[in-house]
Amino acid sequence: MQKRSDATGVLPLLSQWWSVFAVNGPISVPEFWVVSSAGAPRLLSPRRPLLSRARLCRTANGSGPAHHRSRTYHSYDHPAPAGPFNEAEEAILVAAYRQVPEHGFSPEALAIGAREAGYLDISTNLLADGPFSLIRWHLVKQREALAARKTVLFPDGATSNNKPVSVSAKVEALTWERLLGNVDIVGRWQEALAIMAQPSYVPESLKELATLADEILFLAGDVAVDPTWYTKRASLSAIYVGADLFMTTDQSPGFQHTRMFLRRRLTEATDVGNAAGSVWEWVSFTASAGINMLRSKGMRI
Amino acid sequence: MPTSPHHQQQLGVFCSGLLATRPSTSCSRTTRTSCSPNTRRPLSTTPVAAVSPATPTNNRQISNQTGNASGSGSSTHNEGRTQSKKRIPLTAAQREFLSSALRVNQAGELAATLIYTAQTPPVVSREPHLRPLMRHMYEQEAAHLSAFNALIAKHRVRPTALYPVWSLLASGLGWTTGVMGREAAMACTEAVETEIGDHYNAQIRRLLEMVTEWETQGYEVGGEFKDLIVTLRRIRDEELEHLDHAVEHDAKKAEPYWLLTGVIRAGCRGAIWVSERV
Repeated sequence: MQKRSDATGVLPLLSQWWSVFAVNGPISVPEFWVVSSAGAPRLLSPRRPLLSRARLCRTANGSGPAHHRSRTYHSYDHPAPAGPFNEAEEAILVAAYRQVPEHGFSPEALAIGAREAGYLDISTNLLADGPFSLIRWHLVKQREALAARKTVLFPDGATSNNKPVSVSAKVEALTWERLLGNVDIVGRWQEALAIMAQPSYVPESLKELATLADEILFLAGDVAVDPTWYTKRASLSAIYVGADLFMTTDQSPGFQHTRMFLRRRLTEATDVGNAAGSVWEWVSFTASAGINMLRSKGMRI
Repeated sequence: MPTSPHHQQQLGVFCSGLLATRPSTSCSRTTRTSCSPNTRRPLSTTPVAAVSPATPTNNRQISNQTGNASGSGSSTHNEGRTQSKKRIPLTAAQREFLSSALRVNQAGELAATLIYTAQTPPVVSREPHLRPLMRHMYEQEAAHLSAFNALIAKHRVRPTALYPVWSLLASGLGWTTGVMGREAAMACTEAVETEIGDHYNAQIRRLLEMVTEWETQGYEVGGEFKDLIVTLRRIRDEELEHLDHAVEHDAKKAEPYWLLTGVIRAGCRGAIWVSERV
């Protein structure tokens, strides 16, 4: 917190952003936010001298390595190459991720991870986004793990009592499963949310959120390809973010309150969807009945 | 996806490279007889179900089988070929193309079903003998729409965001031309199907280029793409059949023919352009 005092310029703005997400309790400001008055990011960690420059370069093109994985045609016979991480990045991130409960999503965790993986401290420069790469790693890995969990949650065919699970039940189970993926690092998750709320990371964070919603609905077997495709993904994203925030302050055993929160929000969304569907059905029925009545009167329409 | 005998029959077409982008079935039939399917046959007979969950090891086994089955050349040569004979991942540009292709096709078929739905009552009330024809064309379009809906859901493509807009415009177009009379309705069908036929041909051409490139580089082509091309060809032929029906039923006698078809064709091209993007 002492470092925070020499910050000028951007920090007040950022801390406003951050306060939106800081639901409770004191959170240490990630040190890379500290920006000198000259406007260029200033180095605070002596171990990683090139990181700030690297981030500066990165913002110029504004795209991280995960960007190529957008939601386009998903081929089964010609599957896309594996995720956005290369071998060295993966080695560092695996080791650094283990440090997250203790050191948070921070440059320290990355540096320790690099050392543990047998790289020099400086090799964290591979990860141009710094701590955000660690967050991205968490998001991507947890999302990818859902596909495997799906086969465990819903074994082929039907459940034990031979009743197929409904799509909405699957959505809830998968969303809950994804939230449970945050349990190990839940104490550090508010910091991560604060980093994700930084303007330069917002687009990618939102994209990852949209990809997650798409993944959950796809795994749940939702095949709607009309405008509800959009509304379902949007509402699931909103609900997920809400539950995600709720979870960071949830003290109940086994996060039962979060689970109930999630269930209530999903029920509400389903109710709203059903109501809108009913209204639409009534309108279209009335309209076609009216037209048919006019036709029966002999009007050539 | 099971390969029906019909599909397997059509698969021979691939080996003769870039071809059959002409809007006629007879063209693809002649090329089928002219190409020799010897070397490619193992590809088409590989059970697709076994290939689908394509793990790397699984792939290698399958490509080994195909390499041995074709059984030509020395063992070292064969070795080299089995090494290279695997599937290549799609490039970003190819995935982009496939997404926009499926998206625009779904939007187009949605519009087509709505056009026929809106046209049928006004047209049929005047000319009841057209009822079977309108019903036949509607049913084919509905089948196309469900085919593309399934493909979009399976391949996780985003549907067009302008879905409500297209629904409204298509219903409006169908109803207006229907009320204007049989000739106008048929002119509308003719204009739409002409554009759609060209559009499908462009897609098929691009897909064939992709597949041919893979084959010349020695990569295997997944059943997914063979099926997709077969589906697109079938749908294109059915659309062009509608075009013939429309012309048979006095589409050219619509007044003013040039204005109607000109406006509708321009509208179609605009809608295709937008749907590919949004």
